[in-house]
Parts: sequence; C-alpha cells; structure tokens
Amino acid sequence: MKRLFPWLVVLAFASIPLWLHDPYLLNACITTGIFIIAAMSLNLLLGYTGQLSLGHVAFFGIGAYASALTSLGLDVELIGGFRVVHEPWPVWMGFVLGVVIAGIFGYLVGKLSFRVRGAYFVIVTISFAEVVRLVALNWVELTQGPLALTSIPPFTFGLPGLGYVDLYGKVENFYLVLGVGVICQLVISRLTKSRVGRAMVALKENESLAVSVGIDVTRYLILAAVISAGIAGAAGSLYAHYLRIIDPDVFMFLYTVTMVIMVITGGKGTLAGPIVGGLIFGFIPVIARSFATPELQWILYGALMILIVFVLPQGIVPAIEKWFGVTDDKSATLEPVKP
Amino acid sequence: MSIDRTIKLILPLAFAAGLVTQASAQTIKIGVNQPLTGPFAASGTYVVNGAKIAADEINAKGGVLGKKIELVIEDNKSNPTEAAAVAEKLITGDKVPVMMGAWGSSLTLAVMPKLMEYKVPMVVETSSSGKITTSGNPYIFRISPPSAIEAEAFKPMLPKLGIKKADFLVINNDWGRGASADFGKVLKDSGVSVGLVEIMDQSAQDMTAQLSKIKASDADTLIVTTAVEQLTLVLKQAHALGLKKQIITTGASQNPDQLIEQAGVAANNSMHLTTFLPWLPEDTPNPDATKYFISEWKKRGFNFAGTTESFRGYDGIRTIVAGIEKAGKAEPAAITEALWHVEVKGLNGTVKFAKVGPAGKESAQSTPNVYLVKIVDGKVTHPKL
Amino acid sequence: MDQFLQHIVNMFILGGTYALLGIGLTLIFGIMRVVNFAHGELYTFGAYFVYLASALLGMNFFVSLVIAIVFGCALGAAIEFILLRPIRSADIDTTMLVMIGAMIVMQNTEQYVWGGVAKSVNTPFGESALVLGPISVSWLRIFVFVAALALIAGSYLLINRTKLGKAMRATFQDRDTASLMGVNIQFIYMATFALGSSLAAAAGALLGPVYVISPQMGNLASLKAFAIVILGGLGSIGGATIGGFILAFAEEIGAGYISSGYRDAMGFLIIILVLMFKPTGLFARAERIG
Repeated sequence: MKRLFPWLVVLAFASIPLWLHDPYLLNACITTGIFIIAAMSLNLLLGYTGQLSLGHVAFFGIGAYASALTSLGLDVELIGGFRVVHEPWPVWMGFVLGVVIAGIFGYLVGKLSFRVRGAYFVIVTISFAEVVRLVALNWVELTQGPLALTSIPPFTFGLPGLGYVDLYGKVENFYLVLGVGVICQLVISRLTKSRVGRAMVALKENESLAVSVGIDVTRYLILAAVISAGIAGAAGSLYAHYLRIIDPDVFMFLYTVTMVIMVITGGKGTLAGPIVGGLIFGFIPVIARSFATPELQWILYGALMILIVFVLPQGIVPAIEKWFGVTDDKSATLEPVKP
Repeated sequence: MSIDRTIKLILPLAFAAGLVTQASAQTIKIGVNQPLTGPFAASGTYVVNGAKIAADEINAKGGVLGKKIELVIEDNKSNPTEAAAVAEKLITGDKVPVMMGAWGSSLTLAVMPKLMEYKVPMVVETSSSGKITTSGNPYIFRISPPSAIEAEAFKPMLPKLGIKKADFLVINNDWGRGASADFGKVLKDSGVSVGLVEIMDQSAQDMTAQLSKIKASDADTLIVTTAVEQLTLVLKQAHALGLKKQIITTGASQNPDQLIEQAGVAANNSMHLTTFLPWLPEDTPNPDATKYFISEWKKRGFNFAGTTESFRGYDGIRTIVAGIEKAGKAEPAAITEALWHVEVKGLNGTVKFAKVGPAGKESAQSTPNVYLVKIVDGKVTHPKL
Repeated sequence: MDQFLQHIVNMFILGGTYALLGIGLTLIFGIMRVVNFAHGELYTFGAYFVYLASALLGMNFFVSLVIAIVFGCALGAAIEFILLRPIRSADIDTTMLVMIGAMIVMQNTEQYVWGGVAKSVNTPFGESALVLGPISVSWLRIFVFVAALALIAGSYLLINRTKLGKAMRATFQDRDTASLMGVNIQFIYMATFALGSSLAAAAGALLGPVYVISPQMGNLASLKAFAIVILGGLGSIGGATIGGFILAFAEEIGAGYISSGYRDAMGFLIIILVLMFKPTGLFARAERIG
C-alpha cells in the first residue's frame, strides 16, 4: 500500500483538469507545478547534501533562456568578430538543451563552490545568480536584455506523418508539467535510494567521517549539483514555453526565495517535502488575493513562513510522518557505516 | 492529506467566484492591472487613483449604456508572472470585456499573450516599449507615447535649445535603452552628435561613477531617462559633482514636483519632457477638463506630484468607456472594433488610434502631445520654444 | 586624470558606508552563524527613523541620527529575542528562512506605513559641495564619511578593548569553552545582534539623507553587505572595512572605465574570483575576530 501511495497522489493530480475548469486556477496550478519542480531540484542539493544554494534561480533562468533561444534562433557577434548564427530548432530540442546547458553550469558552479562550505557557499551562489542576471540584462544582442524575448513558441508534440499538436491550452500544459514533474521525482527518488544517494546523506551528516571511509565527497557533490541544475533548467524551459515571454526578471531573487520556502517548510530531505511546501506557498498568494490588500498579502506570507518554521522546524512532512508513526524510506536516515 | 485540504479550499472559492460574477451583472466591469506593491507601487497607485476619478465622474453622469461601470482593480506586484496571472483572473474569473494596464513595459509584454488567447482588448496607459505595438497584437490600444514618438516631438525643439553634442544616462531596462536608441537617432538626423551612452541599473543609488565620466566629456547636454527616485539621485549627485551641462529628462512620466521637493536646488534649470501640464491648465488642450481633474485630485487628498502619472488612468478609463459606448455592448470583440473609431478629448490631447505594426495584425497607437518644462527657482515653467 | 581622481574620491566616501554595513553583518554572521537577510531592513529602518525624527517631528538632524542608532539597537535586540532565540538549535537554513520571513514582513509594513513614494531628508548641509580644482564632493558626504570612520573605529575599540568585546571574541572562537569559562552566551548573542543591527541602522541613517528613502532600499544593501563580508572574511572587522573599500573601488572603476551597466556585477565577480583562490576570504583569521 505504501508503494502505491505516491501513484495515487499522481492520479489525484492528474484528475484535476477534469473537474477544475476555472482557467485562472488552472494557470495557478501550472505555475505552481513549475515552481515545485524547481523546488524539488533545490531539495536534492539542500536536503540530501546539506548545501544551501541561494542562486538556484540562475539554473532556472539559464534553462529558460537556453530553451527559448534554441527555439527562436539567434544571431550574435562574439569577441573577435565571430558571428554565431543559429536557426530555430524544435521546442523539445530546446528543452533538452535547456537541461543540458543548465547542467553544465551546475557542474561549473559545483566545481567552484565546493571548495568552500556552509556560509561561503551561500554567498558564492548568490553572487553567481546576480552575475548571470546582469549578463542577461546587459548582453542585449543575445538575450534582448530588458526588451524581453517574446513570441516564444509553445511545446509541440507529435510525430512526422501523424501531425503535430501545439500546446497552447491550459489542460495540455498542465499534463506536460505533471508529466515532467513525475519523471523528475522518479529520477530524484532513484538517485537518493541508490548508493550515490546514501553517500550524499553520509556527506551531509558527517563529512569528515564520510571522507575517512573513502567516499569521494567532491565527486558526489558535483553530481548532485549537475542533476539539481539540470532539473531546475527543465523547470525553466517549461516556464519559458508556457509564459511565452521571458526577461531578466526571471532571475529575481524572489524566485529563489520561493523555492527555498517550499523546500524548507515542506521538509527538506524528504521526497514529498517540496510538493507539500509548494502547494501551500504556491496557492497562498492566489487565495489571499481575494481578501487581503496587497501589502497584507505579503505580510501574511512572511508571517506564515515564520510560523511554520517555529512550530515545525523540520518541516511539515516529517512532522506528519512522526504523527502517524510512519517513517520515510531508509535512504533519508543514516545507516550505520560498516567497518 | 494535503491534496484533500487543497481541494476543499479551492472548490468553494471557485463557486464563490461564480456567484459574485452573477450578482454584479448590473454593472459593466473594466479590468485594471497595475503594480500596487513592489518597486513600482507608487506609480501604479497614482494611475489607479486617476482611474477612479474617471469612473466616479462617469457614473455620476449615469454610467454607460444605462449601467454603472465598475473597476476591478488587481495588483500585479511589479512582477511579469503576476501580471499575466492577474490578466488571466480578470478575463476568466471576473469576465471583464476590456482591461487597462499594466504600467511597466515588461509587465504589459507578459500580459500580451493572454490578450491574444482570449481576444480581449487592453488600453495601455503608460508602457513605452516599442515592442508592444510592433509584435502583431491587434488587441493593444496604447495612449502613452513610445520613445520614438516622444523623440519625434522633441526634434523641433533641438535647434532652439542649442544642442551640439549630447551624452545619455539611461536606466537599464527597455524604457531607458529604447529612449537612448530613439532619441539618438533623432539627434543624428538633425546633425547633433551623440557622445557617451551610460547605463544605470534599476536599483542603483550611486551614479557618481557614471556622472564623473560624463562630467569629463565634451558634450553640452545630458539626456537622462529613468524613474523619478533615481532621477532625484542623479540630479543631486550631478550637482554635487559640479556638472555644468544642461540636463533634459525624457520618459514623459516625469514628476517635476517631486524633484523640486527632494532635490531642491539641484533640480533648478533642469528640463523635462512631459505629456501633461497640471501646473498650467491654460496651456493644456482642454483647460476645463484639466482644472476639473486637478481639483478632484486635490479634493481626495492625493499628492499633487502624482498628477503627471494619474492623468493616464483618467484618460485610459474615459477612452475605454467611449469604446464601450460606441460598441453598444460590453463585449470584447465589439469593443475592440469600436476602439478603432473613438475620438476622445483627453487631458493630454485627442485620443485617436492609428495602425502600427505588421500588416494584418496591427496594434493601435494614439499620438499624445509632448511638452518641455523647465524648473526655474523651484517652480515649474513652460518656456515658449 | 581628473576623472580618475574624482573616482578615487568617490570610492573613499562610498567605501566608508559600505564598511559600516559589512562590519555589522560580519559580526552577526561570524559569531552567530545567522544568514541575516533582515540586515537590509535594519538599514531601511535607520533611514526611515531619521526621516520620522527630523522631517516629521522637526528634531535636530544630528540628534535624529543618534536616536536612530539607539532604536536600531533596540530593534535588533528585540528581533534576536523573539525570533532567533527560540530556534537557536536549528540549522543555518532554517534560521535564514526566518530572517527572510522577517524581511518580508518588515519591508511590507514599511511600504504600508510610508507608502511607496520615496522620501528625502533635508540636512543642515544642503546641497553645497567642496570644490578642490577638478574634484567636487558634497559636504554631506564628507560628514557621512567622517561619521562612518568614527563608528568603525568605535566598533574596533569595542571588540578589542572592552570586556564585552573579549567575551564576543571568545564566543566566536569556541562557544562551549567560553560558556564553561562563565560567559553568558545568551547575552552575548543578543548583544552581537543588537550591535550589528545598530551599525546597519547607522549606515541607513547616514545614507538615507544622501540618497532617497524607499521601502526597497535594503535589498541591494543586504546583498552588498554579504559581498563585503565574504571579501573580508567572516568575523574580521578589519577585513570588512577593507572589503567595503575594495567593493567601492571595483564599482567606481568598473563603472567608470569598463561598463556602467555591469557596475553592480563588479562586486560579485570579485567575490567569485577571491573565493576561487582564497576560500576563506582575504583577511579571515579563522580563530579570531577583531
């Protein structure tokens, strides 16, 4: 039964468009879903390796821009008079490239920042995100800067010969986001339950001990960073092709904060955490809009954050599990290290 | 567990939303999509207050098509994702047949795909990015000038101001960069050379580096494009550095009163391109309307400095209502068609739309008046050029 | 050459206030290991307080500055007591989240109370400037520079020459041993946060009149403060001071000679470079603060 539970949840989500017809709420579901995917990627890094990256939105944005530019085509002049021209490619290739390029940046940041730890890592990641934002803002030839990339094509699915379907509608996009989300969750789940995952947790719990038993700490951290960045890039790509317009505001620090809130209040280091946190903090603004003035909405948001952290410092999911006397799968707890 | 809870929260809300829309079938709704929190909150609030004055005036005279109009005002939090979500809510939840918004250019650009999707028209009251009217979106009706139009209006003033070479200092967004491009072109066409083009980040507070560079240049004029807070800082810092060039600001939403109040002596002798003259109603195209608007604004206790932005809210709503009137019914398609034929005596001039953009999918652009004002001894003057 | 000299002068003035911001944060970050996102909000608070006291209540400008710092101290102590003490044992990211929540609440309360329109404060200095040949600096900025230096010196003396400072350094070095030696850790934490907050409020009180006061002014301040802390090394006042000047230098020269659009990126690029080669910052002495 326990094994089936996640699949029941997926089915429940899948049924939403069948009874929820309000486009505004469906829109909220889709954008929330995209941010949940991004939160899941942050959870991989934060929850399982213990490294807090506050620049995660950089990977989200890089994925968005890479995917959008791939599908729009580009024409830039690099240093040295080199002209790079690129013809538009199908959107799904943009998605793939978005994931890959974000992953590459994840690798670079990983290699760079894992020489530092804790608080320093936090600052480096913030700096990285700011620099990326400023590049997107200033390299107008490539990114259109503040003028924004518009008319981004939506996802297209189909097979040659059988015809193509353009995903303009809400329902189709909802299922796309759900599908990608499920795949990402599966990837993360497999990873954390495997040997790699256990190594990452060992790293988080006691790094020097892990090193002393021969675990190649840096290698696993970098692996986590790459996958985490890639998934964030996937979310970014979905965002770009759903909203169909992106500008450097996509790198707003606010989005990183949103992801962090979702992960920590939901319960970092748990598989369900980002989803729970995401649903709550994705929908609070939607609900609050109907009865609170704009500033009050924000104040409620901040107050709720503080409240949850005070009352449930481990997050909501671990608290629920404790309540029901159910412990999560073993990968989240420390296994005794065999001599 | 959490899913159930979420469902139980959403369903009743969806019903409630439906009920509410039923109950107010007696009014005609107009959606207002503006930033009420975040960095642009001050401006968005001004526009909304101007809109309310228009709505109250119209309702006092009986409304339109026999019904009162109702402004459905939503906050887009100065954030493009929110702007798009708000547009979605206004169109699908509140079922507004027409909208006004969304203040900033990137906010408006984010809303545009929704307009295409649902075929609902929007009157753009402030945004100035050229892209808005050249993207092939036939649901855009803009009453504010893009910087290209502003620059064209500036052209005849050039010889009278004696400008031989100008530097630019602009804010790093589409508005600033667009301005430097459009004005630069007009300058060059008139035989004036362009010197430095310096940029300042949206949230930067210290421009002494850029200003020091400009101080050392050989231009005689500095053209600045940015919002009023940053402009205050630019003027103060330029003054402290002893910058001797003549300063002209563009952007048409300048707020000379706030500059005088906050930059004091540093604001003197600066010149500004505006699209409204609240200080000199006699010089506006419709002096009576201007006087009415200003007295109403003061009566409500709002900051006088806000009139340079709020008049757009006022003109925007009146334009929309004229469109509804002409259409004969409160439906998006009819209103879209009707707006092409309206002619409204706005506070800033006559609102009349012309086609711009790619053939077959043109957007609408009206050409407002542009004025040059100068701050002399702490007062706003309108030099006769 | 003239332009260069002007840039250098600008750099000194800017650096002093940046240093103030950095010192406050390096103490909090260094001693308490709290990623204090609300630091920028104390900065904003200091600025609005000066506005309230001098523009609205008509008090003397200099008196307003002092009172703003005092209230900033009190607010810092209150925040520590209410928000941080109960979650003392939580992870670094949990405390960070609480600070982010505090930041959101504070910033929007400020917006609600004061509105979004920027405010300015008139000072006895007016807009007049000191002109030395090709260089021009406003008197107000010179005052701010001097005041900042005084506060920096004061902080240094506090940390290195007083009993309280000694206790702080001991706590930074080894919390448990310090506790065993009789240091009241709870009090030290509160004092540290209060001190750091009062420095942030001081920076805001001094810079508010130089720039304009708006609810969002703290965001950039926070980010730059973090940059300075990293540059200078955690817990090092001297490092934060020098870090402040380095950041100012990078911004002035970067904006003046390379590209003004990337001005704010300069600081961040430097951080990344510094951390690549010296992961603990330029001046960190891991065992000591001061």
